[in-house]
Amino acid sequence: MIQAEGLTKYYAQHPAIVDVSFQVNDGEIVAFLGPNGAGKTTTMRILTGYMPPTFGTARVAGFDLTEQSLQARRNIGYMPEAVALYPDMRVHQYLNYCGRLQGMGKAELAERMEYVIDRCGLSERASSIIGTLSMGFRQRVGLAQAMLHNPPVLILDEPTVGLDPNQIVEVRNLIKSLAGDHTVLLSTHILPEAQMTCERVIIINKGEIVAEGSPQALTAQLRQAETLLVTVRDDDGTVARQIKNIPKVVEVSSAEQTGSYYIETEVGSDLRADISKFIVDRGWGLLELRPVEMSLEDVFRELTTEEKGVA
Amino acid sequence: MRNILTIAGKELRSYFTSPMAYVLAVFYLGIIGYIFTAIFLLMPQAETENIRDLIGSMLFLALFIVPILTMGLIAQERASRTMELLMTRPVRDWEVVVGKFLGAMGLFTSVIIMSLIYPAILAAVAKVDWMMILTGYLGLLLAGAAFVALGILASSLTSNQIAAAILAIFMLLFFWLVGTLSYAVSHNLGDVFKHLSVLENYQDFSKGIIDTKNIIYFVSLVFVGLFLAVRAVENRRTI
Repeated sequence: MIQAEGLTKYYAQHPAIVDVSFQVNDGEIVAFLGPNGAGKTTTMRILTGYMPPTFGTARVAGFDLTEQSLQARRNIGYMPEAVALYPDMRVHQYLNYCGRLQGMGKAELAERMEYVIDRCGLSERASSIIGTLSMGFRQRVGLAQAMLHNPPVLILDEPTVGLDPNQIVEVRNLIKSLAGDHTVLLSTHILPEAQMTCERVIIINKGEIVAEGSPQALTAQLRQAETLLVTVRDDDGTVARQIKNIPKVVEVSSAEQTGSYYIETEVGSDLRADISKFIVDRGWGLLELRPVEMSLEDVFRELTTEEKGVA
Repeated sequence: MRNILTIAGKELRSYFTSPMAYVLAVFYLGIIGYIFTAIFLLMPQAETENIRDLIGSMLFLALFIVPILTMGLIAQERASRTMELLMTRPVRDWEVVVGKFLGAMGLFTSVIIMSLIYPAILAAVAKVDWMMILTGYLGLLLAGAAFVALGILASSLTSNQIAAAILAIFMLLFFWLVGTLSYAVSHNLGDVFKHLSVLENYQDFSKGIIDTKNIIYFVSLVFVGLFLAVRAVENRRTI
């Protein structure tokens, strides 16, 4: 379990994160989503005990990161952003080194090493020198060292950066398969990744949490108006104006195509029947009428560009 | 203890997987070999006692070799950002610093031991005072430990290896030369400078004398260097 309470971190005078609070429950996979520079890495560095927060407290697996840092660190597997490894070491040497520093016994270490090397697809590269590995393989070594000591909590900073599409799918599946046994917090700036791998998303922007919830809940929560897309065949130029006059229609704007319009209606109103009848009655030739879903991407853009909070 | 040995072993191994250990050892032993040859083959009036000068030059050369050995220990981990993973392991900051110290000492000690070949060659053709040689070597090791500790301190203060090496050389030269200031100042202050001097504290060892005062001096330098390095590492966490 990960608990962050009022985490604030100042670099000199500049705040990187302000009053960040959230919780990740046991066995949950949560995405920490935000544009670059939003404070994701700073938060993760605090949660892994790399640096203390200026204010606030963090607990991982029940241990306070400041008071019981070593115990907390024992329970964390961390993969930093663009994980840095020792280029002159061999993969198995490196993993052995990591395992020993995690306090693992010889037999346990040998067993877990075999397991993570297999799970992370490193079998053929186990005795390669890390410096000769491609970015994708290095990322896998990074993931392998994080999983090595079988930590209850995994904190992964941008785990799929630098991977090719196939590898991304593999790594995402691997992370998904960790759910239940492990608590996972992963950061990403890629929306579909958050949507696909995680049950819950925490959106952070400019150092503050702006939204939190399941991808579905977030889109629903943020939707301030229902939007319909309508297309007519014979546009006499008055379509927009006339539709605007229908009760509960808030706004009508032209779409890219001629004859197409976005119709924003009040929340909770379904005007599809009314609008279709309205158009058919006037003989404009109704070609299309469908609701426009707001994707997580829209939510994200809305939150991070207009700073509209919903949390 | 296990963490310290793990880190020390890793550092020592990485010296040998990079060209560093070999280049330094060849360079160091080569120069010592040259000085050895110069003293005993080219100086007609050389006596076996001159082996003392050889050990003295080894100490002097260590002023420049040790900073190269230690420059990357912490600075490099910072520059390549491997420090982040190291510092998030369940390892105490001082264990990291002491582990790195022991790793570097391992390499330094093995090079020093290899240099025993020169006194051995001399012993094959003439009678030498082994006690004096061994106390000289003890002094060399103690001074070397102090140099390594100060080198790690320099390495912990920056993320640039070259800057760390230059800083370390300056620190070592300070402790090397500070004794000479004693001639320029009053008697009391001069004594302080003398007590601070690596050279002054090494003198007795080279004469075959083991004095606790001198041992305490070098051991304190090691402690101060490592203590400050740990503080620097702790401090850097907040940045």
